[in-house]
Amino acid sequence: MTQSTLPTVFIVDDDPAVRKALSRVLRAEDWDIESLESAEAFLAHGKRTGTGCLVLDVTMPGIDGFALQRRLAEEGRAMPIVFLTGHGDIPMSVQAMKHGAVDFLTKPVNGQALLRAVRAALALDASTRQARTEMADLEGRLASLTPREREVLSAVMRGKRNKQIADDLGIVEQTVKFHRARIMERMRVHTLAELMHVAIRLGVESQPGDASRT
Amino acid sequence: MHALPAAFAVALTLLPSLAGATEGVLIVHSNQRITPAGVVIENTIRSAVPSALARPVEIFSEYLDTEWASTEALAGLQAEYVRQKYLARDIRVIVVSGPQALRFTARHRDAMLPGVPVVHVAVPKDELEGANYASDIVGRPLDIDPAPTLELARHVHPDATRLVVVLGAGERDRIWEERIRRATQRLAGLDVEYFKNLPTAEIVRRLGSLEKNTIVFTPGYFVDGAGVLRTPRQAVEVLASASAAPVYVPLDTFIGTGAVGGFVTPYEAQSREGADIVVKLLNGTLPSTIPAAPAVPTPMVDWRAVRRFGIDERRLPSDAVIRFREPTAWDKYGWEIAAGAAIVLLQAVLILALLMQRRSGRHMATELEASQARMTLAARAVRLSSWIWDVARDRIEVTQGAGRHGARAEDPPMTLPEVLAMAHPADRTRVARAVADAVDSNTELDIEYRIQRRSGEVRWLAVRGRTEKDAPQRMMGVTLDITERKSAELQAERDRAALTHMTRVSMMGQLSASIAHQLNQPLAAILGNAEAARKMLDHERLDLAELKDICDDIVTEDNRAAEVIRRLGALYKRGEMTFAPLDLNDLVRETLDLVRTELMTRHVVAVTELDDALPVVDGGRVQLQQVLLNLILNAADAMERTAPDERTVTIRTEVDGTRVQLCIVDRGTGIAPDAIKHVFDAFWSTKTGGMGIGLAICHSIITAHRGCLTVSNNPDGGATFCAGWPVRQAA
Repeated sequence: MTQSTLPTVFIVDDDPAVRKALSRVLRAEDWDIESLESAEAFLAHGKRTGTGCLVLDVTMPGIDGFALQRRLAEEGRAMPIVFLTGHGDIPMSVQAMKHGAVDFLTKPVNGQALLRAVRAALALDASTRQARTEMADLEGRLASLTPREREVLSAVMRGKRNKQIADDLGIVEQTVKFHRARIMERMRVHTLAELMHVAIRLGVESQPGDASRT
Repeated sequence: MHALPAAFAVALTLLPSLAGATEGVLIVHSNQRITPAGVVIENTIRSAVPSALARPVEIFSEYLDTEWASTEALAGLQAEYVRQKYLARDIRVIVVSGPQALRFTARHRDAMLPGVPVVHVAVPKDELEGANYASDIVGRPLDIDPAPTLELARHVHPDATRLVVVLGAGERDRIWEERIRRATQRLAGLDVEYFKNLPTAEIVRRLGSLEKNTIVFTPGYFVDGAGVLRTPRQAVEVLASASAAPVYVPLDTFIGTGAVGGFVTPYEAQSREGADIVVKLLNGTLPSTIPAAPAVPTPMVDWRAVRRFGIDERRLPSDAVIRFREPTAWDKYGWEIAAGAAIVLLQAVLILALLMQRRSGRHMATELEASQARMTLAARAVRLSSWIWDVARDRIEVTQGAGRHGARAEDPPMTLPEVLAMAHPADRTRVARAVADAVDSNTELDIEYRIQRRSGEVRWLAVRGRTEKDAPQRMMGVTLDITERKSAELQAERDRAALTHMTRVSMMGQLSASIAHQLNQPLAAILGNAEAARKMLDHERLDLAELKDICDDIVTEDNRAAEVIRRLGALYKRGEMTFAPLDLNDLVRETLDLVRTELMTRHVVAVTELDDALPVVDGGRVQLQQVLLNLILNAADAMERTAPDERTVTIRTEVDGTRVQLCIVDRGTGIAPDAIKHVFDAFWSTKTGGMGIGLAICHSIITAHRGCLTVSNNPDGGATFCAGWPVRQAA
């Protein structure tokens, strides 16, 4: 396994002793550990868009943990966050969890609890990434359709029969059948149900453009 | 022969847990821990009982918090909790403070501490009437009838036509309402209106627009109509500062909040009487023989409020205790001054008598004797004596009067070594040096010192003397017994130390999150390292160098945690101020460590400008740290409305000759020009919920360093507080 395929666990805490101890706890796993002293250092880090997660202290000088969480959420490609705090209270943990944190742990943190939280965060990252890759693939397939094929797809999605579609578009029914076969092939699906499922995921049914012709 | 040891063995098995336990007293408070009345009762019992009892005694306290937590089920649990908790203690007397604690204890005593007598403190008379408590529940009932206070108010404000009674929304308020309704029935000619079950903000609004012909009466409240919890004193403080009409109150802890005053029975006096009863019970007096007459309330007023409402001083009762009036020299030493003047007058009479005696011979001799006798009487009353010291022959003759300090006019002359021998050993060298200096340099002798009598009694004397111009080998002077004044001064000093401590501890309460953070950081590092090490031990090949490094880190972090605790311990500890050499820059850094998290969460950046050339300075470490904490937290408070990236507090140290200076600069809103002169006044605050004590305490701490604390507004916004004091604090 090469290094680049390992997920990165970023430990961001302003206390060097805490950083060192936490990296010791996490080091035994097959992860790449990056130990950073501030949110600013994380934002400047080259690997922050790769696979991985954040173990983040709440109270830090400069940009604090919550501010960093907000900022990453605005960017839209947030890495999952496990929060650590020296004095957690319930309102604080509620705020963190509401904004999508994986866990909110209070120092001193038990090693097992930390490992559990980091594993959950990495699993979440992996599944989000997979979903994102799948989506990108599907979008690619949709983009390979010709404009006429897109029109036919939309009409199919609205439940129209071939005859109707042919009338609407001013073409013969045989041509509609031909387009449908091409669509199935290009979207790499075998049944109409499959096609509907993929198209719904891609949001095709709500696409405007051809409704005005009916 | 064997009967006795056997009996002992039986006794020991019967009472296994009590063997060797010290006698105990349990104080059960009705309310939460920090009510002003509760604090006074707690402190007084804790100091008065051990000092009156000749043997060790343990004192414990429980707080029932009934102002917000009062249910049947909870009371049962609390009783069981007390039973379990004190199983191994030898509780001999229960002190209950307030009516709720009395009701609770009377009801659950059998389940809790059966047969233990109960002494009640701060329980109103009407609460006890008809309650029919057991005969071993004793105490002096509190006369809390609002009528005398209302009559006082009416007498002081003869034009008043309207009475506003302010109450909260709790059980206590219903009891008070009933009490007040009874009292107002006897009070004709006043329209009575009740403000009750209202949110405090609404009460404040209404009080602010009251007209001149109104008087306000309130017993304070724990809970207002909005359900917000306060101590009654805090409530009164808010009301009194907002009210356009004078506020009268029935409890002594409310005086000083801005209220005018009322007929009160000071909690301290009540607690002292309670403590006396406790001691009697511990010494075997039967509870049923203890009398239970209620104490008589005294009128007490706050001079500042009297002035604020333009009250005619002559309308106050002649026996009213007037508080917060700066004493004049006459107030402080009036009795001595009067007596001194009388003596001077008598001396003139004596001279006149002598002149006349010359003329009329023996006829005046009897007059002279009589006048001398009167003079001696007067001098004795103030415990003043005058003396002449023939330095060359070392003869000290007491010419007039006699103090309780021993020497009398009719006694034979004394020598300096004899006088010094009477001085307390700790003061002896100081007295000898002062006397020698006065004689050598022909200056005045002015010294206060202690003497120790053979009985062990210690008294304070003030001695003032002057060498005569024409006869430098003679010194004339007076000696005054100042024991009473001195002990009052010492008590005031102790009170101030206690208040300083209380303020410090409450400030630490505000910092609890920051403190938790400071302790949890090293603990997190220790735990992480230990777990990593344990995991490493499961592997076959040990990395010994890494293990050693981990152990070193654990030791370092452990020391760091211990250091945090040590520093906190010093701040929590109660004690007198002791001056010791310290590094002020270090103290600043240490204090910033303590508030680091607090400042971070409030987005305040601390900047230090520490003078490297600062010498080691003398100071009370803990108290100076308290000043620093207070000023830094104040600065942070002042910047709440400043933009987050401009919230900077600068801490500067500098030395100017023999003075060291510590300045805290904020970038907040500054201080209003008309407020700036009140900043250091006690009970003056612009913060909602502020006690107005912090800065007054800081001021007194710096004054005790023979320095001064000043404040000024910065030209570019914000305020600067500077404390300056001499580097050396000579004893």
